Amino acid sequence: MSTAAVARPVDGRDLRAVLADLLELEHIIGGLVVAPDGLVIAANLPREVEAEPLSALAAALGRELELRGPRLRRGTFPTAEFASVSGSAFLGSTPVGYIVLLGEPRANWEAVRSGLRRAVGTVYRAWAG
Amino acid sequence: MFRRAQRLRDEGRYRRAAGIVDEALLHDPRNVVGHLLAGSLHMVLRETGQARISFERALALEPTQPRALLGLARVELEDGKTAACCALLNRALAQYPDFPEARALLEVARDLPATAHAKRDATSIGAVQADRLRLPAESREAVFMRADATVVVAEPHGQATDAVATRAVKLARVATAMLARAGLGPLRHAVIEGAAETTYLRTDDAALLTLSFDRDVSTATALKHLEQVWRRCRSELA
Repeated sequence: MSTAAVARPVDGRDLRAVLADLLELEHIIGGLVVAPDGLVIAANLPREVEAEPLSALAAALGRELELRGPRLRRGTFPTAEFASVSGSAFLGSTPVGYIVLLGEPRANWEAVRSGLRRAVGTVYRAWAG
Repeated sequence: MFRRAQRLRDEGRYRRAAGIVDEALLHDPRNVVGHLLAGSLHMVLRETGQARISFERALALEPTQPRALLGLARVELEDGKTAACCALLNRALAQYPDFPEARALLEVARDLPATAHAKRDATSIGAVQADRLRLPAESREAVFMRADATVVVAEPHGQATDAVATRAVKLARVATAMLARAGLGPLRHAVIEGAAETTYLRTDDAALLTLSFDRDVSTATALKHLEQVWRRCRSELA
């Protein structure tokens, strides 16, 4: 498991592959891709985490960030981190939905952000046409 | 045609799928599944107004359709109409108690502030308090508020400050709920990248602080500033 694993190219239209690649990042314990209507596109979560309620809330959070953000500035957000003492949730915004990664407290924001940005860019390029 | 549209949706060809659904609904305007699919596609395409119309049409045909209730509740939540959102989710849960998405959204929506609060005039106290908080020079905007979105201090303070506070509280509550569902505990801080700036958020169960910095300020520096200002804010509040 290393950040280097994320460098190999993946097909941005294959969101399961995009997610699988991001799950190789260090200290990432699960994740999902959810459409803006809350429908799960791909998920690989710890057994104790239910996908449906998490995806419903992730979509609501993603939309909130897209629409206004904390400063009411309309526009897309590339990535965001929401941290608790027990770990973090990382969000990336793409045209087809939101990538959500769950990380241990040791997960490095800069490394995850870099991986997420790369994934978001890959998805943008693949879905632009 | 609806099956074809669904297949296109599954392939991610949303715009084409929406076109086919619209066409099919011209021939079969009482098709609930069609209106549901249209609502879902409009949501994916970020066309919330049209999604609202589609979900409302589905509910006019089938008033307890759970996915239409959930879809319309999402639209109301986006629009800040929390009472309407809660009413729709309660209607869905009354019919279908085992509906995890509706329950998760209801847990968030029922505690949200309905509109921008103006319980305290921050302009009269803001200048003094902002000075005492010793905001970092790199900070473009700072808002410190109570958990109910009442602004304690804002720098700069403007007409939109109360609305910003309400939005920040909403964001924090949705994030807290999401973290809880992921088994990660309540939100402590957030880093939100924007086009031109990055917003840092610090919170506990009583208060919330947002600080915005230009994107060239490093995360480590910004988080250090955030923690220092947060400590001063909390001490002011105490």
